[in-house]
Amino acid sequence: MSPQRQSPTVKIDIGDGAAIPSKKDRGLFTAWWVAFVGAIVILGSLCLSYPDPYWRILAFLPDGIVVTFQVTLLSILLSLALGLVTGLGRLSQNRVWNLLASTYVEVIRGVPLLVQLFYIYYALGRIEAFSNLPPLAAAVLAMGICYGAYMGEVFRAGIDSIDKGQAEAARSLGFNRRQTMALVILPQAWRTILPPVGNEFIALLKDSSLVSILAVSDLLRRGREFASESFLYFETYTVVALVYLLITLVLSKAVSHMESKLNYYDRS
Amino acid sequence: MTAVDPIIQIHNVFKYFGTLQALSNVCLDVHAGEKVVIIGPSGSGKSTLLRAINRLETIDSGRIIVDGKDVHSGEHDINRIRQELGMVFQNFNLFPHKTVLGNITMAPITLKKMPELEAKNLAMSLLEKVGIRDKADVYPAMLSGGQKQRVAIARALAMQPKIMLFDEPTSALDPEMIGEVLDVMTQLAREGMTMVVVTHEMGFAREVADRIVFMDQGQIMEIAPPNELFANPKHPRTQKFLSQIL
Repeated sequence: MSPQRQSPTVKIDIGDGAAIPSKKDRGLFTAWWVAFVGAIVILGSLCLSYPDPYWRILAFLPDGIVVTFQVTLLSILLSLALGLVTGLGRLSQNRVWNLLASTYVEVIRGVPLLVQLFYIYYALGRIEAFSNLPPLAAAVLAMGICYGAYMGEVFRAGIDSIDKGQAEAARSLGFNRRQTMALVILPQAWRTILPPVGNEFIALLKDSSLVSILAVSDLLRRGREFASESFLYFETYTVVALVYLLITLVLSKAVSHMESKLNYYDRS
Repeated sequence: MTAVDPIIQIHNVFKYFGTLQALSNVCLDVHAGEKVVIIGPSGSGKSTLLRAINRLETIDSGRIIVDGKDVHSGEHDINRIRQELGMVFQNFNLFPHKTVLGNITMAPITLKKMPELEAKNLAMSLLEKVGIRDKADVYPAMLSGGQKQRVAIARALAMQPKIMLFDEPTSALDPEMIGEVLDVMTQLAREGMTMVVVTHEMGFAREVADRIVFMDQGQIMEIAPPNELFANPKHPRTQKFLSQIL
């Protein structure tokens, strides 16, 4: 093998969301199993030993889980689209696009998500066209716009991490800018982008609990509803927390699995 | 001889990197079928000049005309011009997410709308030519440096360019792999391809070049056929450079 190797994959460190266990990181790898098995054992034994109230609580939550996933999935799709446009804008030589994208990122990163949620929900509510916006749509809009800014930075870093020689090779074959981006840069950047996107997805899923404020019956809100009727606050939130933990752990595993699949062309 | 215009005409080209003069009043004509080898110390502007021919580098003044089209004027579609100019890089720049076959067929299929089967046949015949037919379905990461560079040459040839530009094609290779790449280039030269080659391989220059261009500090110091330039360099800087490397 020649000493000239493909440039090493750049890790984008966002430092947000759950840690994605990699087999090389023994500590985290084991911690994942401890947390996962622990959560299942605790939840299982609680439900078996005290079906009332634990099993009742657990049975009350699935509707909320569905909503949580709905919000998360729709928001992530919106944020991916916004992120791509923003990331490309941040790297664009088009001044207007670049400035718009950069300003968007600056503004969004400077306002807390909860404030954004309130703002979009209540401020949009005052505009005629949006006054009938269902809570779920408002939640998705707010979460998507917020995470789009972060996603934009992920896309920017991912695209930036691709060696300049790749673009030069494509351009000198006669590909225009767009073709170069679509056929050569993005397919490679995706591999660098996916782990942080997975991270953002998990972080978004957790942050989606904030939408319980907006009359969206997500997992947390279902828990609140149960607790306020039964006054079993400790028991309810124990189950809610364990369910969130299990979902997050499974997702982080899925992301790390997907990541290893994406490395197919590096295997020698 | 004929009244045919040179296929590459470089007129009074200047380029600055800040205050550094990268190219200074460079003039050079290359005729169809000609092989021109550019030599010179590092930082002499030879790669910059080569990259200016297909506008990977901009220039500050002067004109570069390729096949009758002004490359830097913006009047012509640069993507069209580049299809006529195959480029081979020092670091290969193969697309790592595509197989060898995918690397070669991507441009003809996308840009020339060549049917997939035809592109594949073309790619296989090019791989035959560069001697690595059996590697068609592997990813570049599994190739040696010499193999990568030969694939890169095949990829450039797949667009059936009129001119091939080589930017230090063997500089990143282990010594034992240089020969296999130079052999392919020599073969290409024999078939009559117009070639502009930046290289430190003096043996190749001597054997293949019609003319050798010696550059130093952004200027062309001397242009001469190889036997003349190697045996009897006129400019003192050429003499000094050759005495250092030969």
